[in-house]
Amino acid sequence: MKFSEDKLKVVGEMISHYPEGKQKSALIPLLHFIQKHNDNWLSPEALDYAAELLNITPIEVYEVATFYSMYNLKPVGKTVFEVCQTGPCMLRGSDDIIAYIYEKLGIKPGETTTDGLFTLKVAECLGACGYAPMMQLGPDYREHLTKEKIDALIAEGRAKAN
Amino acid sequence: MGRKLLLDKAHIEGIRHYDVYRREGGYRSVEKVLKGMTPEAVVEEVKKSGLRGRGGAGFPTGMKWSFLAKPEGMPRYLVVNADESEPGTFKDRFLMEFIPHLLIEGMICASFALGSNRSYIYIRGEYWWVKEILEQAVQEARNAGWLGKNILGSGFDCDIFVQPGAGAYICGEETALIESLEGKRGNPRIKPPFPAVKGLWGCPTVVNNVETIAAVVPIINDGGEEYAKIGIGKSTGTKLISACGNINKPGVYEIEMNISVEEFIYSDEYCGGIANGKRLKACIPGGSSVPILPANLLLKTAKGETRMMTYESLSDGGFATGTMMGSGGFIVMDEDQCVVKHTYTLARFYRHESCGQCSPCREGTGWMEKILLKIEQGKGTMSDIDLLWDIQRKIEGNTICPLGDAAAWPVAAAIRHFRDEFEWHITNPSDALVRNYGLANYAKPLEVMPA
Ligand SMILES: Cc1cc2nc3c(=O)[nH]c(=O)nc-3n(C[C@H](O)[C@H](O)[C@H](O)COP(=O)(O)O)c2cc1C
Ligand code: SF4
Ligand code: FES
Repeated sequence: MKFSEDKLKVVGEMISHYPEGKQKSALIPLLHFIQKHNDNWLSPEALDYAAELLNITPIEVYEVATFYSMYNLKPVGKTVFEVCQTGPCMLRGSDDIIAYIYEKLGIKPGETTTDGLFTLKVAECLGACGYAPMMQLGPDYREHLTKEKIDALIAEGRAKAN
Repeated sequence: MGRKLLLDKAHIEGIRHYDVYRREGGYRSVEKVLKGMTPEAVVEEVKKSGLRGRGGAGFPTGMKWSFLAKPEGMPRYLVVNADESEPGTFKDRFLMEFIPHLLIEGMICASFALGSNRSYIYIRGEYWWVKEILEQAVQEARNAGWLGKNILGSGFDCDIFVQPGAGAYICGEETALIESLEGKRGNPRIKPPFPAVKGLWGCPTVVNNVETIAAVVPIINDGGEEYAKIGIGKSTGTKLISACGNINKPGVYEIEMNISVEEFIYSDEYCGGIANGKRLKACIPGGSSVPILPANLLLKTAKGETRMMTYESLSDGGFATGTMMGSGGFIVMDEDQCVVKHTYTLARFYRHESCGQCSPCREGTGWMEKILLKIEQGKGTMSDIDLLWDIQRKIEGNTICPLGDAAAWPVAAAIRHFRDEFEWHITNPSDALVRNYGLANYAKPLEVMPA
C-alpha cells in the first residue's frame, strides 16, 4: 500500500492539527481515511502502513483498530446496513426493520449476501433516537425507516453495484 | 412560549453559514470578551450564571474552570465533548448541525477564559456529516478573523480543530476521551490526577459538553445575572432536551427550567402527548443511565408535589423514588412497552461499550445482559431477579469510571419499580412471549408518604 502525493498531503494536514511530536493523535482520523480508500476495510497491510505514516509501532495501531467499532477488520459488502437496536429505537420498531431485511435479503446481523452486495450489522445508539427507527449507511444516516424505505435502499444498493 | 437562548435562531435560513450568523448578531460575545474583559472576569460571569455542565453530571462550570491549574510555560487545553452516545441523547447533534457557529463562538470565549490557544471538538465518528459542517464553520470563522493569531488585535491566539472518534460510547467519559484524542484506545484513566491538572498530553485540560460551551454565548451577551434569573433555584437557564420514544413529537426542545414534566410531555409546544392515543407507562428522563420511573412517580414526587424539569426536582426522593436530569435524553414508554425488554437492550448496550479494564464492569454487564434476556424470553426463575440485583450492586462504586454505575442504575431502578413485571415474566412464560404486561398499576396515583 502506498499513497499518492495528494493523499499524503491530506495526511500531512491531519498531523498539523497537533503540537510537534504528537502525530500519534492523527491515528483515528488516519484510519478512517485509509479505510475509505481501501474498499471500506482495514487489512493488516493497511494497518502497518498507518504505523509507517505516523512513525509509530504497528502494535499501537492494532490496539486502536481493534477497539473502535467503526473500523472493519474484514472485508464487507458494498452496501452495509447498520441498524440501531438500542432501547429508544426498539420502542419505535427496529426489530421489525431487522426482520424485514432478513425477509428481503436472507441475512441476519453479521452476515453478508452471497453476491457480496449487502452486509447487515446491528448498531448501538447512534444519536438519532428521535428519528427512529434508523440505520447508518456509509457516512450518512437514514431515519424514520419503513418497509418502503428499505425496499428503496435495497434497490439503490443494487443499482450502485451495476 | 419559553425563552430560547441557544436555538432561537436555529431555524433561520442559512444560519449554518457565517454571513447569516454574523448578520443575526453572531460573534458579539467574542468582541465583548476580547475588547474589554480579562479571563478572570469571563470565569466570574460564568460563575454568576449558575451554569451547570450539560453533559450529564451537572457540575458548576465556573467552578470547574477556576480549578484549572496554570503552571508556568505549559499549554492548557479546552476540549469540547461532542461524543454524544448516551442512548436517548441527540441534542448536541442538533445544535452543531443547525447552528455550528454558536459552538465555535462559545469556544473562543471559553478558550480565552482558560488560556487555551488550541482547542478541540471531539465528535463521535458516526456524526461524519456534522464533523464536515463544523469544519466548514471553523474555516469560515478563521477566514473572518475570529480564529488565528492576535484575534481582533487582542494579542490572543486561538485555533480550533475537529477530531473524530470511531465508535465507542466510553470515549464520552472525559479521561477516555483524552486518551482517544491522543490516538489510543478509550480506556478511562484512574483519577486523580484530574484533567484540570494533567489532561491532554499531560497538560491542564478542561472538558466540557457542547451545550455547556454554547451557553457561554448568551451568558456573556446578557450577563451571568440575567441568565441566572431563568429557571428555579440552582437549575438556572435553559436546557436542551432530546425527546424520543412513544410520543407524538420526538425532537430537540429548549426549555426554561421552570416547567413541569407533565407539561413537557403533554403540551403541544413540546412532546405533544403520547402517540396513538395510548397512556404513559414509564420514562427515563435523562439518558439511559438514569433511573427509570413509572408514570405515577414521574409526574409527582413521593411527597405529592408536581415534578418539575429541574435538576433538583427530578432527583427528588433520591434513587428510592427519584431519578436525574442527566444528559436530557428523555425516553418515553407507552402502555404497550415491556420494561424488561427495554432494560435488556440497555444492559446489552453497556456490555458492548464496557472498555473491559475493571472486572465488575466487564463481567457484570455481560451477566446482566444474559439474565435479562433469559427473563425476557420467559426462561427466568425468581432467584434470577435477586441475582440481577446482587450483580448490579457489586458493580456500583467498584470501578475505575462511572460507566459501571451507569450500567447498574437502570437495572436497579427497573427492578425497584417494576418488580411485578419481572415476576409476571417468570410466572407466565408463555404469555410473556406473545404479549406485554401492560400498564398495570404504574399510572395509578400513589398514596402520599407522610412528610
Ligand atoms: C460513560 C460515560 C459517557 C459519557 N458521555 C458523555 C458524552 O457523550 N458527552 C458529554 O458531554 N459528556 C459525557 N460524559 C460526561 C463527561 O465525562 C464529562 O463529565 C463532561 O463532558 C463534562 O462536561 P460538562 O461539565 O460540560 O457537562 C460521559 C461520562 C461517562 C462516565
Ligand atoms: S467501569 Fe467499565 S468502562 Fe469504566 S473503566 Fe471500568 S471497565 Fe472500563
Ligand atoms: S437508540 Fe437508536 S439512535 Fe439512539
